[in-house]
This record gives sequence, structure tokens and C-alpha cells, in this order.
Amino acid sequence: MLDRADVVVPILRSGVLAQDFCRRHARATVEAVFERSFYLRAGDAFICVGEPDIGNGPLTLIGHPGPLADLDLAGRPAALGGGHVLIGNSIRLSLDRSEAWRSPPWLVCPSPSRLIETCSALARRAATDAPEEGLARHVCGIGEASTHQPPLACIAGPRIATFERWLSAVLARGTPPSEDAIQGLLGLGPGLTPSGDDFLVGALALLDCVGERDAHAALGRAIIAALPGATSALSACFLRAAAAGHVGETLHRAVSSIIAGDVGAAIAAVDTIGHSSGWDMMAGITTTLRGAASTRSSSSAYV
Amino acid sequence: MSVILNEVRRATYLDSIVLMRISRQIAALPGIEEAGLIIGTPANKEILRDAGILGPESDSAEPSDLILALRASDALAGEAALAEARRLIDHPSALGAAAAVESSRTMRAAIKRLPAANLALISVPGDFAVAEAHKALELGLHAMIFSDNVPLDDEAALKRKARERGLFVMGPDCGTAIIGGVPLGFANVVPQGDIGIIGASGTGIQEVSCLIARAGRGITHALGTGGRDLKAEVGAITTLMAIDALDADDRTRHIVLISKPPAESVARLVLDRVAKSAKPFTICFLGASDVALPANARAAATLKATADIVVGGSAASWAQQPLPGLGRGGLVRGLFAGGTLCSEAQIIFRQAGLAVMSNVPVPGASAIGRAQDGQVLTDHVMIDLGDDEFTRGRPHPMFEPGVRDGPLAEALADPGVGIILLDIVLGYGGHPDPAGHLAAFLGRWEHRPLIVASVTGTDADPQPRNAQVETLAAAGVIVADSNAEATEAAIAALGPSLDRA
Repeated sequence: MLDRADVVVPILRSGVLAQDFCRRHARATVEAVFERSFYLRAGDAFICVGEPDIGNGPLTLIGHPGPLADLDLAGRPAALGGGHVLIGNSIRLSLDRSEAWRSPPWLVCPSPSRLIETCSALARRAATDAPEEGLARHVCGIGEASTHQPPLACIAGPRIATFERWLSAVLARGTPPSEDAIQGLLGLGPGLTPSGDDFLVGALALLDCVGERDAHAALGRAIIAALPGATSALSACFLRAAAAGHVGETLHRAVSSIIAGDVGAAIAAVDTIGHSSGWDMMAGITTTLRGAASTRSSSSAYV
Repeated sequence: MSVILNEVRRATYLDSIVLMRISRQIAALPGIEEAGLIIGTPANKEILRDAGILGPESDSAEPSDLILALRASDALAGEAALAEARRLIDHPSALGAAAAVESSRTMRAAIKRLPAANLALISVPGDFAVAEAHKALELGLHAMIFSDNVPLDDEAALKRKARERGLFVMGPDCGTAIIGGVPLGFANVVPQGDIGIIGASGTGIQEVSCLIARAGRGITHALGTGGRDLKAEVGAITTLMAIDALDADDRTRHIVLISKPPAESVARLVLDRVAKSAKPFTICFLGASDVALPANARAAATLKATADIVVGGSAASWAQQPLPGLGRGGLVRGLFAGGTLCSEAQIIFRQAGLAVMSNVPVPGASAIGRAQDGQVLTDHVMIDLGDDEFTRGRPHPMFEPGVRDGPLAEALADPGVGIILLDIVLGYGGHPDPAGHLAAFLGRWEHRPLIVASVTGTDADPQPRNAQVETLAAAGVIVADSNAEATEAAIAALGPSLDRA
């Protein structure tokens, strides 16, 4: 069956969760086709296949599938097995020589005061550079100054404040309070992955980076508990990956740049993720960073 | 009365940028008051409910569904918008054509639309230009800063930062560049050739490149540096980088450098770099004297002389006719759109031993006060109408020739003025018919002094030079082939004994 493919695409790099997807599932469907990538779905699990410029990620297979519009992939079934993914009769992805990709270890975190300065610099840039859609401008205070807030900002503001209180309590006591602070952000906002989901992915990445393992685990548990029915299956996949400590290389670069105090590099990184997704992640990063820095100003978790 | 329409697309996935663009496009349609295109999560239904555009059709939407919700001024507008949304959702590639011409609100958004771009042209009020230039450099883009009013310290800092990254900052106040045949800012249609130009002055680059073109030659690149690059505080950073670039460019066989006289220490830096090149240079430090040049460089006192040296002869061949005698006073009033053309005219007056005044005086010329000071002008006067005094809050005379009307009317009415010297600058960014404007204005004046003009441009410009010259000639304007020749003609018309300084 595998030999009938018109096009064979060697996969160059495969994210660890994408490899797992290929091992665990025999059948999948092409659920979505975009300009530079497409998504395979099996049950509630998704992986992304695309050109190198989409960036490595835990759920990503990187190769050179070429112009996707010509392949008429949408809705086609895929057969997985033996290190291959055959999509219809048209394209075969070969994982034989693919290199496994996982996000690299985080840098050692600098002092909280440095983080706060970086956070402020990011907020200033977000105020002018972030897309109007999404959360970043609101989180950076632009929404408060406006006489007419968009509906997303009106709803998101109190929910982010609730999240901040929840996070402070988790960081201070190590155990989450009973208040459910996650549900209101899940599935909130525009985009393929809603802004609220991206915000939470950013928050998870930051907690992982700064070594707040208990808080990371608590947030991950809270998200997974609240996921059913709250957001799309595709977005839920990215949230589950982040809760397990897996993020894409561009988000990893953004967080690492923030920790290194390189605001320009951080902005450049988030700006390449979707339309507002990267900025929404940065909103989650900076919100969480403020909380972590103020709670842990004297902690030995930072050097 | 407003209507609310919703449509749910089951299990539909579009990437975020496409969603945003469809959403914006639908919201901008006639009669659409509010629109949203988001996935059908419970939280998003709340957003739509709060916005007052959630309809009953969307109650059953699932998180993997797409909800299109809108409020329209009437059913017709709403249905038309829904139909357009369906079309775009089904064929998102239809957004592509619009994207090519869609403007971007930020530099980052522009880069997303055009990832291969490597240069940002910055034309914003000076207060904001520095921040935009920093953004450009951080995005790996060369920057051409058209804006002026940028502090000198900021210019130096930007250029140092650019140099560290191997990027150019052209400007601030850089009006003209031609990169690989692509005109930027005010620039003319000139053929490609083997001459590279580095210029601190926009109209200087335009005049020289056009004279070269009209002599049948062409240029590789014309790189603007901004008027202050050769100041000691900046240290010729862009000029030196431009020399490096053109020196390394195989197609460039002759390099032209145009600038006001540099600071002495900077001149040494630049000329030392010139001396290291194997290529011939022509250097026009307008208004400078006694500059010791290296063996591979020749000095030119004027823009015209620069072009003549580069093309190895007379760059333009204006068969100058003797001008008719002056019918009235013996003073020349020059009214220039191009600042460097104004400087060149002053230099030619000084070379002829004539006293001259200007609002932007070259060495040896006298300064005049601001126009509103009511100073009586008793010398030959050359006015740069592009100077801040005339352009603050108003357009530059190169794209709004009406800026010249007031000073021109004053000169026409002044019995002491025997000759009016003018420039017309053509090319991209310029007014579509400056000669037509001038001809119409002059048509209102029955008795007037001699009017001598130059037309900087080529026949391939958006305003073909030949047609502009014909219009001026029909209006009784004497048109020279270059600004230098127009000035020389004006001086010749003064006669031998007038006002030698």
C-alpha cells in the first residue's frame, strides 16, 4: 500500500509527541490544511506537518511537503505504521531518517528584579506592537486607558485578575485554592488557538522555565480538568503538551530571551507565532513572571 | 433597523491570520456594524453575547465549529456580508490578492506580509522616526529614514547600531535613493549603468543621476546618507559603509560622493578610505575649497561638474542662447525646491565674484533673516523653499509647487528683481505637473522679469521631462539643461559690471 504514493516526503525532524502519535495510532484524518502546514487528527489528538519555517515543536513533523494546495489533502484518511504515514494515495511521509526533536533545557533564571525590568520593557513594546486582536494590549494596560474596550478585553480583564490571584496563592502556599481560575480563560478569544489558551500555554512555559514545578503541575492539572468542552480539540492538544512540559521552539526561544533580558529577541520570536498567538503567550508569560518574581523575590530558585 | 445574523460552520479550521483577515474584511463591508469570526467555545459565545451579536443559530455550536456573527444595518447588507464570508471561508486564497496591496499598521505586520523585505522606508514625524528605525534594525532591515527632526545623538546611535549588525541607515532626512534600479523617495527613472552615487543630499543625487542619464550613462546604486552623516558626531558611518559596498560591487566602476563640506576629522576618514580603493572617485564637497584628495579622486565644485567628470565630457549640451537684456532691476532671486540646487547656485555666484544671500548660506554667502522679518533684500538672493521655515506644517515644494507661489509673487512684484531663477524637480514622489502649475501661475503676470529655470529629471520620469520643458518654454520660461547652466545664464545676463563682490 505504501508504494502507491505519488509523493514521498522525508520527515527531517519529528517532535517527541508527534512520534508518539505515529506509534500509537493506525489511522488518522487530515483535519485541516493551511498554506504551509496541515493537521492530522486521531481521536482528540492532533499533529502538525509542515515546512521547516513553521518551527520545530513537540507535535510537529518537519519536512518539505511542497505546495499543499495542489495535493487536495483535506478530509483524506491517513494510514500510519512502520515509520510511515500514507495519506490517501497521494503522499507518504517517511519518518525513517527523522531526527527526534524535544525542547532544550531552560536557561538558569536571573534575579527577579531583572525579570521585572524585562517585563516592563515587554509591556511597553506590547502596547504599540501587539495586534489589536488578542490579549496582549489589554494585559499591558492599554485596555484600561481606552474609553471603549472591545468585548474580549471586557471579559478577559477580570478573568486574568482571577488567574493572578490564583497563581499568587499557588506560589505562596504550594497548593491551589478552591477557586476555579482556569475555566474562564479556556477557549476565550479569536484564533485557531484562542487567546486564552495561548495565554495559559505561555504561563505554563514560564513556570517550567523558572523552576516552579509545583505551580506548573498545579496549573497543568487545573487546565486538564477544565478542558472538556471548553476549547477546541486542536487547541487542547497544545495545552496538554505544555502541561506535560513540552513547548515549541519559538515559544522556548521567546521565554529564554526574556530570561536573558533580550526584549528584542523575545518580541521577534512571539511575533512569528500565528497572528496574535505569540503575543497572547507573551501576555501569559509576563503575567506569570510578575507573579513569580514578586512572590519569590528572595527564593533560591533564582540565581 | 439592525439585524443580527449568525452562521455556524461545523468542524472548520482556518489559521489565525486568515480568521483575522476575514473578520476584518467582513466588518469593513457596507452596513456592517459589528462582526466576529471565532470558534464556538463557551467563552467565545459569551463574548458574542456581550457584544450583542449572538444569535440562536449559534447555541448548538461546538468548540471545533466556527461561528460567524454579525450585526448589520439591514437584512440586505447582512446577507451580502454572510455571502462574502462564505466565499472567503471556502476560498481563503481569495484573500491573497488583496493582501498584496493591503497596508500594514506595524513594521512587524508588514514583514509578515512580505518576509523577503530587507529595507524599511521610514516616513513618520521625526519624534517617532527613531523608534521605528530601531524596530527596523532589530528586524534585520536596512533603514531609509525620510523623516527629519531626528536628534543628532539619536542618528549617531542608530548608525552605530546598524553598523554592528551590518545594516545601512540612510538618513535621517534622506529623500532619495535608488537601490538596484528601484527608486526610493524622490528619485528619477535613470538607466542602470556602472556609476555608483553616495549622496548626503537628495536633490544632489537627483541632479547628478539625471545628468548622467541624459548623457547616455547609467548608475548601479544611489545611496543617500542624510545631510549630517559627515558631521564629527556621526563620523561618516553610512558614507564609509556605502563606499565599502560600492567598492565591493563589481558592477560599479566609478564612485561619486556628494556632500556639504565635512568636518575636518571626518574628511580625513573618508578620504583615507577613498585612497584604499582601486576605483576612481569624483568628489563634490559643495562649497569646500582646498581639499587635498587622493590620487584616485577628482574634485568637482558643482553638481554639473561632477556629472561632467563622471561621463568624461559635458553631461548636458545646452546650446545657451544669449538672454535678452534685463527690462528692470539687476538682482537675481532664486526660488528653489531643491536645497542642494540652491547651494549650487550660491557657489556659482560666489565663483563669479558676486555677493549672494540665502536662508541656507554656503560658505562665503550671507544669511538672510526669516521671510516674515520684513528684511529688505538688496543682494542676489537664493532661497531654499524646502527649508523648515517654509515646510513646517506644510508640504514640501517638490510635491506641492504652490509653496513657491507666495515668494514667487513677491519676486515678480519686486522692481529690483531682474531675473528669477527656478528649479523644477521631477520624478517619483514629485508633483504630477509642476511645470503646468508654474506656467498657470506666471500667466497671471503681464510684466515680469526674465525667468530662467532648470528641470531635474529624465524623459522616462512619471512627468516626462521633455513635456515639462515644452510647457515652461510655452510660458516664456528660459529652460537650461542643468541648474548650474541656468545659474550661469542668469549671471551672464547681469552683464560684466554688476555687483562684483
